[in-house]
Amino acid sequence: MASLQQASIDRTSIQHTNIHHTSIYGTTAVTLVLASCLASAAFAESKAESKKEYRFTVGPNAIISVDTQYGAISAKPGSAGQVIVTATLKSDNVEVDQQQNGNRIELASHLLQGANEQTGRVDYELLIPPDATLNLHSSTGPLSVERLHGDLTLEGTDAVVNVSNVENGHVHVRTMRGPITLSGVRNGHVEIASISGDIHLKAVTGPLVMASSGRGRIFYDGDFGAGGDYKFTTHTGDIEALVPADVSAGFRAHSVLGRVQHDFPLQPRHSRFSEEVGRSFIGTTGQAASEVVLRSFSGRIRLKYR
Amino acid sequence: MTCSEVERVLPELLDGGSNGAFPPDFDAHLKCCPTCSDLVSDLKLIASEARQLAASEEPASRVWVRIAAELRAEGLIRDSAIPDSAIHDSTIREPEFAPARPVVVPVPVPASPRWRWRALWLAPVAAAVLVASAYVISHKPAPQVATQQAPAPAVTSPAPVTPATTPALVPAPAPQQMAKNSAKPKGVSGNGNEIGRVAEAAAEPEPSAEDQQFLSVVSTLGPSTRATYESQLRAVNADIQETQAYVDRNPGDADARQHLMDAYQQKALLYQIALDRIQ
Repeated sequence: MASLQQASIDRTSIQHTNIHHTSIYGTTAVTLVLASCLASAAFAESKAESKKEYRFTVGPNAIISVDTQYGAISAKPGSAGQVIVTATLKSDNVEVDQQQNGNRIELASHLLQGANEQTGRVDYELLIPPDATLNLHSSTGPLSVERLHGDLTLEGTDAVVNVSNVENGHVHVRTMRGPITLSGVRNGHVEIASISGDIHLKAVTGPLVMASSGRGRIFYDGDFGAGGDYKFTTHTGDIEALVPADVSAGFRAHSVLGRVQHDFPLQPRHSRFSEEVGRSFIGTTGQAASEVVLRSFSGRIRLKYR
Repeated sequence: MTCSEVERVLPELLDGGSNGAFPPDFDAHLKCCPTCSDLVSDLKLIASEARQLAASEEPASRVWVRIAAELRAEGLIRDSAIPDSAIHDSTIREPEFAPARPVVVPVPVPASPRWRWRALWLAPVAAAVLVASAYVISHKPAPQVATQQAPAPAVTSPAPVTPATTPALVPAPAPQQMAKNSAKPKGVSGNGNEIGRVAEAAAEPEPSAEDQQFLSVVSTLGPSTRATYESQLRAVNADIQETQAYVDRNPGDADARQHLMDAYQQKALLYQIALDRIQ
């Protein structure tokens, strides 16, 4: 009986072993072939990627423009008087055109024959003087700027735009669908326009802050500063503002077809605009240092404490 | 009796030798030696547990008969006489009708089964590689960027009135033209229902002639780009149409008129973003 048991076990193990041997050999062979094909393709592609560095000497208030159809652009403060650009070209089907005319520097991705969204991609990393004026344009993005205090103009079709810790400069942002996030932007004119991208504003204050999105939403988290004009407009997107308890602003909100509400009491004020419960409200808090206008055609507007 | 002597006689005693009786000095040693005492108790426990386990999981005899028949059919065993001195496994009952004991035909067995288990991880890796390679092979690259620009379309629309500068290639339609083309929905049936009119007005209208012209120029950037702009254009036109319809019903609503202007500015923005891309 023991020998029968042992025989059956051996038979089963032999069958399993044979099956596994066959499958493992086949799997291994296929794996090796495919892996070698992919590795060679990856190697060929990576071999075409190249990095180039450009250095420019500039004076105060330089103007720097970077335009790429495909690729990311990031800008950070560097040393005064020098612009350093590191461009990563994904293939040989794209080249970088660069030129300097005095204090103006222009770089652009030049797509060559056969370029597509993958092979025509160029990523730029910029180190620029903090007071430089910067113009960035990328269809795909992302676009990222931080710790500068010159004027900024950022444009992208689907690009994700991030601007952080920028002071004293004007900030202009335009996208078609790309979401826009501004944080720690102070003491400058801010104009943001998007057709359907969401707009996030955190600690954004200044003499003028305008944000408009057709179908995207607008979120504001801050205290509206002291003495600025804030205008947020959407067509169908919602508008939401989170403010601290000590906010000092005059508010006017109106949605033609959407709901409007405020979660804390407002002091009434005389205005040529009529107030309609659920569709609009007018009032002030604190000293009404800033003026805040929230408008939407059919989106919902909400004002609440943080 | 010493510990080594205990260990020597212990297997025989546990197997039932000497009729289960232990020598007198054996017990005396266990009483004064905790190590040997623990060893004996552990072995007794294991032996008893093993007997119970074997008895509970022992298959029926017909199972072994069937297995034997299959093994004989495959030639893996052959019947032969086994001497009495062969090892006897008391935990398994022998088949009652089998006088000769089968002998296993030696078959090579892999020396290291571990390699089989180690190689099994290749299966999911191979599957992932297959999926990735299928994607790479089937992925069609985006169409090449055209280096030869399409000829500029004939300008037939009135001069642009939009505030932003517009290149001469495709002028943005005037607001009046936009209103005419965007706010007039096709196939809208007239009825007195306010909600119905709003719903019909909110339906995305077909692009106008100027919009088609715009899209044809955008097409030079690629079919996916055209699709993106076309969807955005339809959405903007729908917003304009919706707002225009509301303003028509409520001409005194200044805020609604302002929203209508905002909607046209959104369309102008769309044109500008697209035309900035066209070289």
